[in-house]
Amino acid sequence: MANTIIGSSIVIDGEILGEEDLTIQGTVKGKVTLKENLYVENSGVVEADIETQTVTISGQVTGNIAASDKVEIKSDGRMVGDIRSPRILIADGAVFKGSVDMDV
Amino acid sequence: MNDIVTVVGKNTVIKGGLQGDEDLTIYGKVEGTINLSRTLIIEASGIVAADIEVMDAIISGVVVGNITASNSVQITEEGRMVGDLSAPRVIIVDGASFKGHVDMGDLEAPVGERLPVARSVTPARAARPAGSERPTAPARRAPASKPVAKKESPKKELPKKAPVKKPAPRKPKAPSKPASKKAGKARRKPPRPPSVPKGKRKVKRRR
Repeated sequence: MANTIIGSSIVIDGEILGEEDLTIQGTVKGKVTLKENLYVENSGVVEADIETQTVTISGQVTGNIAASDKVEIKSDGRMVGDIRSPRILIADGAVFKGSVDMDV
Repeated sequence: MNDIVTVVGKNTVIKGGLQGDEDLTIYGKVEGTINLSRTLIIEASGIVAADIEVMDAIISGVVVGNITASNSVQITEEGRMVGDLSAPRVIIVDGASFKGHVDMGDLEAPVGERLPVARSVTPARAARPAGSERPTAPARRAPASKPVAKKESPKKELPKKAPVKKPAPRKPKAPSKPASKKAGKARRKPPRPPSVPKGKRKVKRRR
């Protein structure tokens, strides 16, 4: 269970820094830097560069992701941007456009 | 999951603008601006350096910035705030720390029944109902007193003491109103109020 939750009607325009899990159900624009896990839910819209340990995308992400562990795009996830991560999982049904670099 | 409640965790820092239509609970740190149409709860570990515009705010942490609330602001015992508060309801609990201005909007001043009574207040006049602005001092000439004199019967008492002074000189002599000549002509007719006891004085006709 994530400790920080951004609700569906919340819009954050700026930077998020954290040392714990983050669940985004709303809109975030800017930059996200976490040491733990990032979950972008179905209603989440992220237009930011993400730097975190793991990312699980079920919503919409536009931006580059640099993960130290794993990036997962679920079947209802949509992503446009570059991914840099040692492990990547893209499920059937997901939409992705960008480059992938697994040589971290 | 249960109701969606936005929570900013203890180790999370948000820098920038935050806006939304739901409740927000902050355990971590927020810098920038917060704009909510619901309730903002800043817990004891929360640190907010932002200008806040919400409906309700409950502060148990540290806030540096101005808060504008459309409903209420409450600073609890552990709350500490530096900044201006602008809300129709403000609650500051014993133990809280606060430094800044508080603006609760327009405060309605109670409408005074009595206008300040004239200087020389005689017992009779004091007994008269409030609202009397009739000048007792000769220097004061209140044109408005004329209609008042006619209306209120108790005012008839006034002239008894008034003779020394000019009772209701609603049309003051020329010096007081130099500009209006026409009014002066009209004034020529002695504006003796009926309160003057007949027989005592004859109305002087000025022509």
